[in-house]
Amino acid sequence: MSLEKTLSQIKGSFSDYVLGLTEYAGEQIIHIKGQGVIDVLKTFKDAGFNFLADLTAIDNLTLGGFERFAVVYHLLSHGSAERVTIKAYVPEDNPVLPSIESLWKTADWQEREVFDLFGIEFEGHPNLTRIMNPDDYEGHPLRKDYPRLGRKERYDFPVIDRGIQKQKRTE
Amino acid sequence: MNHDDIKSNVLTTTIERAINWGRKNSLWPMPFGTACCGIEFMAVLAARTDISRFGAEAIRFSPRQSDLLIVAGRISIKMMPVLIRIYEQMPEPKWVISMGACASTGGVFDTYSVIQGIDNFIPVDVYIPGCPPRPEGVVESLMKLQNLVDKEKLSDYALSSSK
Ligand code: SF4
Repeated sequence: MSLEKTLSQIKGSFSDYVLGLTEYAGEQIIHIKGQGVIDVLKTFKDAGFNFLADLTAIDNLTLGGFERFAVVYHLLSHGSAERVTIKAYVPEDNPVLPSIESLWKTADWQEREVFDLFGIEFEGHPNLTRIMNPDDYEGHPLRKDYPRLGRKERYDFPVIDRGIQKQKRTE
Repeated sequence: MNHDDIKSNVLTTTIERAINWGRKNSLWPMPFGTACCGIEFMAVLAARTDISRFGAEAIRFSPRQSDLLIVAGRISIKMMPVLIRIYEQMPEPKWVISMGACASTGGVFDTYSVIQGIDNFIPVDVYIPGCPPRPEGVVESLMKLQNLVDKEKLSDYALSSSK
């Protein structure tokens, strides 16, 4: 099935979810609501878009957009060599959307990464824990309102002295 | 044994000098390579700048068997507890070389997740500038460290009376 056909099929059957359709650099971008990812991505998968090339997120704090956060899925069809981008929007006060780990196993770690760095939660994820930052880390550093130099995490370690040796060394 | 035999066969020195001579010529490094500097450190071990000329070719990946920690690369906030642990596992006497801009100052990575110089938390003996330092720089730092080791005093290792 071609990309155009799939897009119009989705526009027809999931019109509640679809927010808009744009094109950039010759590739289609479909904007949807967060709750709709399972339905929409399943339709794409059934239509031959078998490969989840990437899963990431955008903080629209200063960019503007339908909502504060957009989770971005890049799909590729190995059969027809077509690509499509799906942007699923979630609001700031309730950044939750369904996990697509059931469709592509590779989404497991990528969703953990988005959770770690943006604080977006994925319902139904088997193990939604931090993947990059330390387990006891607080905050989500890729949010645009997180200070670039952090909140003193990088100074928060015990200072080890020289112990019994070389305490008297002058140079 | 006559007097001339003693003159040509016996060397007199102090125990301190003999120990320092042994230590400085058999430093066993523990490489803590976390980034590109770690790759450059491999070149230091290779034939061209071969650090076995300085007695430091016995690379140990166990901190318990080494006395020289070479931190080569940027240290993230997740890695710092590991580095502290490794430093504490090394038996004394021990020395630390901070290799490259990142380990010494954080380098260009002035972000929330990168430690701005390991000397904020663990003692460092020799710093090597550069991004990455040339292998010759590492050899130079090893020679500098040998000079430091040579000047150590055994009395500095005595337990202080308060302990
Ligand atoms: S100092 Fe340069 S070469 Fe060394 S770890 Fe940092 S960026 Fe890499």
